[in-house]
Amino acid sequence: MNDAEALIETRGLVCGYPGREPVLRGLDLTLRPGERRGLVGPNGSGKTTLLFALMGLIKPSEGEIRLFGRAMTGPKEFAAARLRLGFLFQHADDQLFSPSVLDDVAFGPLNQGLSRAEARRRAEETLELLGLSDFADRVPYRLSGGEQKLVALATVLSMRPEALILDEPTTGLDRETKARIVDILNGLDIAVLAVSHEPDFLSKITNRLYSLRDGRLVESTVEPHAHVHVHAEGGLPHSHDD
Amino acid sequence: MHISEGILSAPVLLTGAALAVAGVAVGLKRLPPERMPQAAILSSAFFVASLVHVPVGFTSAHLILNGLLGAILGWAAFPAILVALLLQAVLFQFGGLTVLGMNTTTMALPAVLCALACRPLLLSPDNRRAGLGGFICGSLAVFLSGILVALALIGTGETFTHAAWAIFLANLPICLIEGFVTAAAVVFLRRVKPEVLSGALA
Amino acid sequence: MSDLEAPLSQGSGPIHRLDPRARLLAMLFFSIPVALARSDASALAALGFGLLALTLTRPAPGLILRRLLAVNAFTAFLWVFLPLGGQGEALFHLGPLVYSREGARLALLLTLKTNAAFLAVTSLVGTIAPQDLGRALQALGLPEKFCHLLLMAHRYLFVIQREFRRLLTAAEARGFKPRTDGHTYRTYAWLLGMLLVKSWDRAERVHQAMLCRGFNGRFHSLAEFSYGARDTIFLMLAGLASAAVAGLSILEKTA
Repeated sequence: MNDAEALIETRGLVCGYPGREPVLRGLDLTLRPGERRGLVGPNGSGKTTLLFALMGLIKPSEGEIRLFGRAMTGPKEFAAARLRLGFLFQHADDQLFSPSVLDDVAFGPLNQGLSRAEARRRAEETLELLGLSDFADRVPYRLSGGEQKLVALATVLSMRPEALILDEPTTGLDRETKARIVDILNGLDIAVLAVSHEPDFLSKITNRLYSLRDGRLVESTVEPHAHVHVHAEGGLPHSHDD
Repeated sequence: MHISEGILSAPVLLTGAALAVAGVAVGLKRLPPERMPQAAILSSAFFVASLVHVPVGFTSAHLILNGLLGAILGWAAFPAILVALLLQAVLFQFGGLTVLGMNTTTMALPAVLCALACRPLLLSPDNRRAGLGGFICGSLAVFLSGILVALALIGTGETFTHAAWAIFLANLPICLIEGFVTAAAVVFLRRVKPEVLSGALA
Repeated sequence: MSDLEAPLSQGSGPIHRLDPRARLLAMLFFSIPVALARSDASALAALGFGLLALTLTRPAPGLILRRLLAVNAFTAFLWVFLPLGGQGEALFHLGPLVYSREGARLALLLTLKTNAAFLAVTSLVGTIAPQDLGRALQALGLPEKFCHLLLMAHRYLFVIQREFRRLLTAAEARGFKPRTDGHTYRTYAWLLGMLLVKSWDRAERVHQAMLCRGFNGRFHSLAEFSYGARDTIFLMLAGLASAAVAGLSILEKTA
């Protein structure tokens, strides 16, 4: 446990959608530099709502949100904080809108005030870091799902965020791409808040797991246990590493 | 760029209506049934686009993008714009029945004419020339729309002269911005999905 | 509720119970004398009829006020520039600019006419559910193809708006702040370009779905409405109101 100032902090968060019961009911959360937290839960439990509220994309009805030590009282505060957070949306194709991968990866740095040349250089460095240099001139819209996810990650990492917020990062990915993402994330020195319905994946990239119960966070403990299952070709050599 | 109901004189309204009817007829005739979903959904997309505010100095403006609409839909721009105006009337109560024809014409006629004129540039294999074509198409379409609105006002009465000039002048910076946005959109479409512009509909 | 959900069409006034075709026809009758009105008296009468119609829709005041302001933006513009163009007697001078009485009177007349038309559109057209508009127009004789265009365009409006919202949100999440600069305009161009591409794809899927359900190029008649005595009475009243407005206009001219 370190005493560094929290990157993300929220107390008593109540958040929901009009006409329905609030999904978050008095939620507390703290993320400090270097911490990696995972949030497990089935779809509809409010995980995405939490992330959206933290990014200022939806407004909570109660509760305080502090990002980088500053109270987020309105759009202006959130706008400044977003430049330091990396948010990876669940669907990569919602996140990519430039004519080339390089343009998309350079978009964030441009918004951070870098010159065109600096943004370009930063984008190239980020692509190299992720092993995507060959993709620089490709059209994001035409890439496969897994490739788009990696590019989306690049668009966020190029902003050199102090924390990464990941919304269901493994949606629609094959095993190879998932493994690649695990490697990339573990190779970075960055705080992570990841939300997923796949506890296996989360346990590989985070060191504390939580679940959402009654609109609040509850810490989970990971208990390894054996399964007995039946599948075809059971006699052939195989792995369950998925 | 819409003129409100009750402003223009009868001859101007009739001229606008006649041109609109002709344009819509041509547009519908040249629209094969299998292209209907495209025209409808693109019309919807342009409607949504027209709701976007972009900052212009200390104020903001709605994008019209009639040049781009013409480049993608061709003559179908006439019915598409009429559809958009009807939706506006029913959703926002903006506009009116008698001025519907004139409003359709001021936006659709330049859209079609500019798209036709810029077609060679827009379809050129060189992306930069296509971008130039986009800039000309986008800015010229809005420029001509402004002129038509000004003419409609002056045609109604001399008293409108100053108002017409004011609209014409205020429109000039918008033309530049629309030209720029259209150029960037054209280059984007060329690189991402060129068939949108390749005249499937035009 | 956003404007795209057509809140005005979901009211429960007497006008909502009228056949949409009757409402459209009434709008047509009424628009013409209002558009051509030359006298303040006829414009005021039109305004009065418009207000009457509005009360029959039991409107939500906030919605009406917002739209009223939007419509009168153009009117305000005319108030600034029309009097500069008028001839004759001056109301006041502002340096070299002459603010004429004639222009001011024209501005007043146009203000009355525009607002009268607004009230009529709000009561008669604004109360029609957008999905009924295509069907009503077809029943009134407009080409099938056009009516289907209208229906389909409306059907996908919400979906497309949401799609754009998501793209814009993604941009904002990466720090996009609209300003008057090239980066902003280029970003909007790309966001809209992406919207067009996605819409194009969606249209292809819709077309394929239509083919799978036996679409062969012919559009078929859309649903029916029920027309009753109530509608005929309303049309007659609308006709009378229109005649009154037209009559006042003619009287004033010949007076």
